[in-house]
Amino acid sequence: MTVEREIIIVGLNHRTAPVEVREKVAFESAVVGDSLRRLCTLPSIQESVILSTCNRVEVVAVAADEPAAVRDIKNFLAEQECAQGLGGLDRHLYTYSADAAVRHLFRVAASLDSMVVGEPQILGQIKHYYVAAHEAGAVGTILHRLFHRSFSVAKRVRTETGIASRAVSVSSVAVDLARRIFDRLEDKTVMLIGAGKMGGLVARYLQRNGVSSLMVTNRTFERAVELAGEFRGNPIRFEEYARYLKLADLVVGCTASPEILLRREAVEQILKERKQRAMFFIDLGDPRNFDPAVHELDNAYLYNIDDLEGVARENLKGRAEEVHKAEEIVGEEVAAFLRWLGSLEQVPTIVALRQKLEEIRKRELEKSLGTSLKELSERERQALEDMTAAIINKILHSPITHLKRQSGEQDEARYVDALKKLFDLEEK
Amino acid sequence: MDVTLLKVTAVVYLLATASFILYLVLSKELFARLSPIVLLAGFFVHSSALGIHFFQAGYPAVTQFREALSFYSWLMVGIYLVVQIKYRLNVLGCFIAPLAFLMSLAAFAFGTGSEEIPPALKTYWLPLHVTLAFLGNAVFALAFGVSLMYLLQEYQLKSKRVPRLYERFPSLETLDRLNYLFLVWGFPLMTLGIVTGSMWAGIHWGKYWSWDPRQISSAITWLLYGTLLQGRIAAGWRGKKAALLTIIGFAVVLGYFLSAGSLFPSRHGGRFE
Repeated sequence: MTVEREIIIVGLNHRTAPVEVREKVAFESAVVGDSLRRLCTLPSIQESVILSTCNRVEVVAVAADEPAAVRDIKNFLAEQECAQGLGGLDRHLYTYSADAAVRHLFRVAASLDSMVVGEPQILGQIKHYYVAAHEAGAVGTILHRLFHRSFSVAKRVRTETGIASRAVSVSSVAVDLARRIFDRLEDKTVMLIGAGKMGGLVARYLQRNGVSSLMVTNRTFERAVELAGEFRGNPIRFEEYARYLKLADLVVGCTASPEILLRREAVEQILKERKQRAMFFIDLGDPRNFDPAVHELDNAYLYNIDDLEGVARENLKGRAEEVHKAEEIVGEEVAAFLRWLGSLEQVPTIVALRQKLEEIRKRELEKSLGTSLKELSERERQALEDMTAAIINKILHSPITHLKRQSGEQDEARYVDALKKLFDLEEK
Repeated sequence: MDVTLLKVTAVVYLLATASFILYLVLSKELFARLSPIVLLAGFFVHSSALGIHFFQAGYPAVTQFREALSFYSWLMVGIYLVVQIKYRLNVLGCFIAPLAFLMSLAAFAFGTGSEEIPPALKTYWLPLHVTLAFLGNAVFALAFGVSLMYLLQEYQLKSKRVPRLYERFPSLETLDRLNYLFLVWGFPLMTLGIVTGSMWAGIHWGKYWSWDPRQISSAITWLLYGTLLQGRIAAGWRGKKAALLTIIGFAVVLGYFLSAGSLFPSRHGGRFE
């Protein structure tokens, strides 16, 4: 007697639902434990994990009765949205089950399903929500294994393909280039000139990647002070910033100044004062803030916004082939996981257990009948045969009854798993 | 010298080269770990070949040109492996492994027979001189590698095209620091190499300096590296300029080393007479 246990995913993401809908359905990180406990009281759900990021809300569950579970999860999500009934939400929801669900989760973890393919945050988020579900007691043997596999799929994709290593935004290209010039960003200083939005983004991204020291200057000093507060940097008066430039390893220009702020000759002088330590100029200004000839100087590198976007575009093109490699890895891992899942069904396990004990019985009986019990008559042999078979049946009776009673329960897989380990029942 | 072991060495160096190239082209973690290990295996075989020669002959295998080539590549691989432990510079291995392979291959091109050694070479000054000079040059070979990488990386950054292959290159700052490190180690070794060589010449020929082409090229390189080291310390030379000078210096050494006695008659040639 086999019990179907399906892995189900019901949810919505950035492709199926607009942000207003996603926001409403989203689970707050702090209360996700309560939601999980509520979800687990539903009779159709055996195990569950809720994922909720700004681009997706998904419920991953293990259930015996798939249609009932899907219905329950949809209602659960609709309650979460709370405004209107299921009618409004249903068209945004997708459902995956069995191998499609496994594949979907692996793809999400490997950042193949993300809005920006290859972005690294999603794995941390999945880990966070898995831990929350684990703490809420909502995770059993199957989801435990499924999520841990998904983490290693993500790791494989990250190390074996170039998906994650390609910067595709202006800020990340800037950081990527900075890392090619400097070996570490922790001891570097950034000078941010101007209050442009793009400049702020790049400065913040540099800080997030280790830059600790930041100087900010702006034509109006008050604005510089304001920005410095925002970035925890030092405000510099615009009339004086040139004197501080020699301290800066990275210079980000983002002003609307109609004339060029930094000329080649000035930079040449600064480099001399710095004993030729390299400088990276990022020109985000419109019109240009820095003299393009700066790039011709040794140890000075100047990239403007068009250059950065050009690199980002190139990187994006190269990603397609990497995605193909990543999909292959996902395919391999899905197959491996399904093999493990199949081995968890109790019928094959019971059969294997019986077979194992029967083999032991036969072997030992033959051994004895061939040596010490050689003189036994045919009738006595038969009696011995019956007796040993009865012993095996008696021993097996209680574990098998217990296992069957567990069938469909959340613990079943755990029992099957334990049994396989205790008796060394490897699938052939 | 044990030719079989040297052949095995060359084959293992070739395998290491293949592994390093695979590392560079595919981005498999496997090759990043495997490559230095294969090179290390080659180094062990190479060491045993040189060790066996030393115990059988009683003096290091440095007296003939092909022996010198082999010894030189052995030192270079050894130093690279030490550097690899600290800096994990797999990309540098992509330069060193093929170089080591080509050198061990070239060693065969210069014959394999054993020749009678002139008595002038049976002395402790010579192995000392050769070891120090080669040690210095092997360090400069690594300096050459990082400088070449510096120029490639710099060229990419200047041309504003950033292909994937270069992702595994260290940053310019790291490469420049390594250039300095190798210079600081290589220069004293080279100086000692020249001093001991001249001592030996003084003892055996009665002349410490004889305007031998080899001596001249050493002097040129020594001046070049000395200037570069001085410039780095005092005048803040770095980056592209330092990389270019390092490459020129090494080209002088290598150019002379490979043309050896065939182009210029010299006491350093294949036959020391």
